[in-house]
Amino acid sequence: MSRVLTAVTTSPARAASIAAVVVGVLLPFWVGAYWLSALVWVLIFALGALGLDVLTGRTGQISLGHAFFLSVGAYTGAVLGLTLHLSALLWIPAGGAVAAVVGALVAPTALRLKGMYLAIVSIGLVYLGQYIFTNVSYFSGGPGGRSMPIPAFGSLNFANGLSIGPIFINDDGLYYYLAFILLGLGMLFVRNVSRTHLGRSMTAVRDGELAGAVLGVNVARTKITAFVVSSFIAGIAGAMYGSYLNFATPGQFDLGLSVQFVAMIIVGGMGSLWGPVLGGLFVWGLQSELDSLASSLPFLQGGAHTSGIPVGDAAAIVYGLLLIVFLLLEPRGVVGLGHRAALLARRRHVLSRGPAVISSVTDSDTQTHQKVR
Amino acid sequence: MTTFALLLFAGLALGGVYALIALGFTVIYRASRIINFAQGELLALGAVLTAWLVSAHGLPFWLAFAIGAAATAAAGLAFQYLVLRFAIGKPDFTIVMLTLGLATVVSAALDAKFGAVPISNGDPWGSSVLHVAGLGLPWVQIWTIITAVLLLAAFWLFNRRSKYGLAMRATASDPEAALSVGISLRRVHAIAWGLAGLVACVGGVFLGGYPNSVSPQISDVALLAFPAIILGGIDSTTGAVTGGFIIGVVQELTAGYQPEYATWLGQNFYLVAPYVVMIIVLLVRPYGLFGSRPAERL
Amino acid sequence: MIEAGSVPDAAPAIGPAALEVSDLSLRFGAVAALDHVSFTVGVGQLFAVIGPNGAGKTSLFNVLSCIYPPSEGTVRCFGVDLSERRPHQLAHMGIARTFQNLGLFPTMSVIDNVLVGRTHLMRWGTLSAGLSLPWSRREERLHRNAAMEAVDFAGLAGIAGTPVGALAYGIRKKVELARAIAMEPQLLLLDEPVAGMSQAERADVVALVQAIRDRYTPTVVLVEHDMSTVMALAERIVVLDFGQVIAVGSPVEIQANPDVINAYLGKPEGLLAELGEGVIGTREDSPQ
Repeated sequence: MSRVLTAVTTSPARAASIAAVVVGVLLPFWVGAYWLSALVWVLIFALGALGLDVLTGRTGQISLGHAFFLSVGAYTGAVLGLTLHLSALLWIPAGGAVAAVVGALVAPTALRLKGMYLAIVSIGLVYLGQYIFTNVSYFSGGPGGRSMPIPAFGSLNFANGLSIGPIFINDDGLYYYLAFILLGLGMLFVRNVSRTHLGRSMTAVRDGELAGAVLGVNVARTKITAFVVSSFIAGIAGAMYGSYLNFATPGQFDLGLSVQFVAMIIVGGMGSLWGPVLGGLFVWGLQSELDSLASSLPFLQGGAHTSGIPVGDAAAIVYGLLLIVFLLLEPRGVVGLGHRAALLARRRHVLSRGPAVISSVTDSDTQTHQKVR
Repeated sequence: MTTFALLLFAGLALGGVYALIALGFTVIYRASRIINFAQGELLALGAVLTAWLVSAHGLPFWLAFAIGAAATAAAGLAFQYLVLRFAIGKPDFTIVMLTLGLATVVSAALDAKFGAVPISNGDPWGSSVLHVAGLGLPWVQIWTIITAVLLLAAFWLFNRRSKYGLAMRATASDPEAALSVGISLRRVHAIAWGLAGLVACVGGVFLGGYPNSVSPQISDVALLAFPAIILGGIDSTTGAVTGGFIIGVVQELTAGYQPEYATWLGQNFYLVAPYVVMIIVLLVRPYGLFGSRPAERL
Repeated sequence: MIEAGSVPDAAPAIGPAALEVSDLSLRFGAVAALDHVSFTVGVGQLFAVIGPNGAGKTSLFNVLSCIYPPSEGTVRCFGVDLSERRPHQLAHMGIARTFQNLGLFPTMSVIDNVLVGRTHLMRWGTLSAGLSLPWSRREERLHRNAAMEAVDFAGLAGIAGTPVGALAYGIRKKVELARAIAMEPQLLLLDEPVAGMSQAERADVVALVQAIRDRYTPTVVLVEHDMSTVMALAERIVVLDFGQVIAVGSPVEIQANPDVINAYLGKPEGLLAELGEGVIGTREDSPQ
């Protein structure tokens, strides 16, 4: 029995995770200011994508409304952090909590809707949110926008940086570590959930709702839970997003932002733990890369030349194409590519061993590859 | 009273555009179960191309429109052929995201090329107005309604009377059965996308008429056709048309009356009113007014 | 000619019957999938539902699974009226079902699929799960052990961690059975458990079903086409055709029933030949 369990959590995966954490902690000291800032965005986007993955990747509910939950988190943070001058220890979690409550309110309506209908209603949510926030300037500062809070708790204020002995961490670095910790906690939470009946229920709702119901899965409760968890994470990501932007307008939380998140989970790999991180890296990292290359690539607008394609558009074109390519060729995203590469490596290793071993390994492997989506 | 009449007329015109967009969408859906999120972008493509040909290249309007419509239909066909035919049978989610990916690419491309300055439509009726019964009805709206009704009628005839229409209805009902009686699904899909592209372009040109101008952002307006589609029921052509007109009228009436009578609703409520109406309808009929529930096998 | 409800060899009921179907009708528009169907299943019995294609067997199961409410009539399971219930309440009532087209989740492992069946027994919520609190972990361990027992019983222990999507059809059917057992049901509904299987695989499944009955003694209602399986397992059989009951009785009685024979093939010789080849005798004999 325990053999089964240890087989499932293989040690190479664990070693890789630990390595990733170590690298992550040390990274700010290696990269320059530009890339540090880009990485902060990657982490914040990855956290947001993690939230979306819970709802869409794991529970199968198509949602294009993610930008809305982000905005709820961002504006909750803004009101509590800046207007009311509360500590970040309050406004960041509050961003999550308020978004979770909103998610719980939205969920029952979404229960009855499937597929396309749910997708469109979720688009409506984005517009509804933009409409509400544009009009209620207490939250958003109206269409012109407002300043967003900088995290501060106790004596630590991100704007001032932090000195630990000989090491000085500037504001970007502090944002990085905060986002890193939040992402890590989020991933742990989601991983834990996936190993329990809740995780299995989510998969059941995604892959066979009716069968799941007959087996005892409470589909309604599972969907509502998915909404709440997803929007909680989105709210936290939103609070961080707003804060790092420093100044936000309601127009920024638009459908395009939602689509970016969906692209992230698809490119990264839906339903997998590292998928959102990889997706964030790809989609945001791509934009940052294009940004930095803008002046050197002739067809991009940037730096000296004002003609050419604006970087934002170029990035959108590329990730739109990536989305299409991945959906058609590798719907399991980069994580899926990783699996294929691992499979290929194993097969090659086996081939070098001799014919007798091949049939037993390759048959089950190809079956695994073909049948597990 | 005149305000109401004017608003209603404007609503019918807008509704006509939405009805056309919705129809294009529904036709594609019925033919191939594909949910085309890029319909708005196709509209923008058609509108922008037509306007650009007129203003930057001095082509006469009708020629520009013909080219624009052909280009839009071709774009739809190209996408269907290059990408979407590999997606048939895949889950809804995949298809939604594929067309969203297309929408993202087209939107960004249009923005890159044409984004800077709004172009004037170059249509022949401009801002002229017909005075009748004490009302000043803009010619663009009159033409919109007439064209929409004509196209819808033409489609209805095509659907009911022609053999291709029959083929499309058969495919909508049961693609496998249609195949087995010799209907070329490829041709049906091509017709569906071609039609959708054509009506999208028509819709776009009218949408870009006075008092609007044409820019890639016009696709945002087209996005409002989606509540119309949903509220009517995504697999019903009657629903598409009905939903389109309902949403158009709701939007114009709201835009006209809300600032005066319900200031507490703030600015731009008319942009969310369609979604509100849609959600209310869905609460009562989860598959829209005329839509049907997909069968789930166990 | 056997009439429903008047079978002389029925065991005397102690308490409510396991399943009591009374005058059940299910209509979709003008089509009657089920038409005034009545039969009773005694506690601990193995009861088979047979009939030609389109006879209404799957519709019957879907009503039993609370997927469709009856248009007319009632269904009682251990005295409880099912028509007011929703599907996810079945598990609590002790009803477990396998599916004709496999209700398995391909990305999950065998043991995780089986564990889905135990969801209704697991109480701890999201927070406990996400924070991996001790009581949540304990509950998970407990149920995993119970699920493992069921997996082991079905002879699948070696592949417990394999994603179900990678497994052969015959094995997947057994996973469904393991999952059904893991639900600790009092009533087991088997929807064509041997469909599409080879002779050897069928024998395997039959043996497993018999082992389940010996060990766990649930009441079993079986929908099946394969006559040899039905004759090997069933104690009582109801025959449906066009949504109506045309016969109820013991396997021997059903075999000899002319209405049954007519329903299947319209030609007495054809069915007799099929029944003759398939029948190995009564339930006690093991199939070849």
